[in-house]
Amino acid sequence: MIPDGEKTLERQGPEMLYEIPSDWDANIVAFACHYCAFAAADLAGVMRLSYAPNVKIVRLPCTGKLDHIYVLRAFERGIDGVFVAG
Amino acid sequence: MIVGEQKPFEEIWEMIKGHKRLTVFGCNTCVAVCHQGGNKEAGILASLLRMRATQEGVDIEIVDSGIERQCEHEFFDQARDLLEKSEAVLSLACGIGVQFVATKYHSTPVYPALNTTFLGDVIAVGHFTEKCQACGDCVLGITGGVCPVSRCCKRLMNGPCGGSSNGKCEISKDLDCAWQLIIDRLEALGKLDDYEKIPPLKNWSKDRAGGPRSFKLEGI
Repeated sequence: MIPDGEKTLERQGPEMLYEIPSDWDANIVAFACHYCAFAAADLAGVMRLSYAPNVKIVRLPCTGKLDHIYVLRAFERGIDGVFVAG
Repeated sequence: MIVGEQKPFEEIWEMIKGHKRLTVFGCNTCVAVCHQGGNKEAGILASLLRMRATQEGVDIEIVDSGIERQCEHEFFDQARDLLEKSEAVLSLACGIGVQFVATKYHSTPVYPALNTTFLGDVIAVGHFTEKCQACGDCVLGITGGVCPVSRCCKRLMNGPCGGSSNGKCEISKDLDCAWQLIIDRLEALGKLDDYEKIPPLKNWSKDRAGGPRSFKLEGI
């Protein structure tokens, strides 16, 4: 990282255990390879297939581009799960 | 290069949890090669510490940064402001870098995130082995390029001991006997007769026995 570089968002702590609401959905970020998994998601869109809105897709040129810090930053910012497809 | 291993996360957390503004500071040369202390690892460690702080409800501002080498003044220029404003620094450098930061920033606590382990090479991806102990009086010229000081468990200078068996050391069947390697290498070089020659006594005063060592270029 460069000095005075990117900082993460303000933390909301401490983390507390609480009852999970019945309408709760896990907030998922999906890292998808441009050439396979992302193409499949794209195809699903073209075919007007619906998929869960709580999954946000991030396109990578290849899942080999996935870095430890991408996953850690996602969790730091409150993502409940990370899905990697490629 | 210098090889280090990151300390257990709990040990690092215990060292830094009392501070309010911490800089996790990477060193992007030797310890980056072994994926333990580079600027990338500083980013990862800072992220893990921030999450731990959130879980514990401890308020610490943790930023990560790094430079190419923490053992030379010139490289610190780009991080000067950040380090001057830091309440504490968690250095991912080897012991040299940690001490250098501590000397440079006299009133700032500096903590080591790594255990500096040895001077070694990369024999395969992700596999590091010790090859030098910086004894100050190199004997590689007469030992066929295999160092008995760092690679023989007993640092023997006069051939293998009775624990050498089938080319392996008695402490582990996975560890080559350094003197077996030396003999094999001398044989391959056609210099096995040299093994019979008695070398002059090794000058151990150039090792740590003479206290901390230094070296100064003349005329600079």
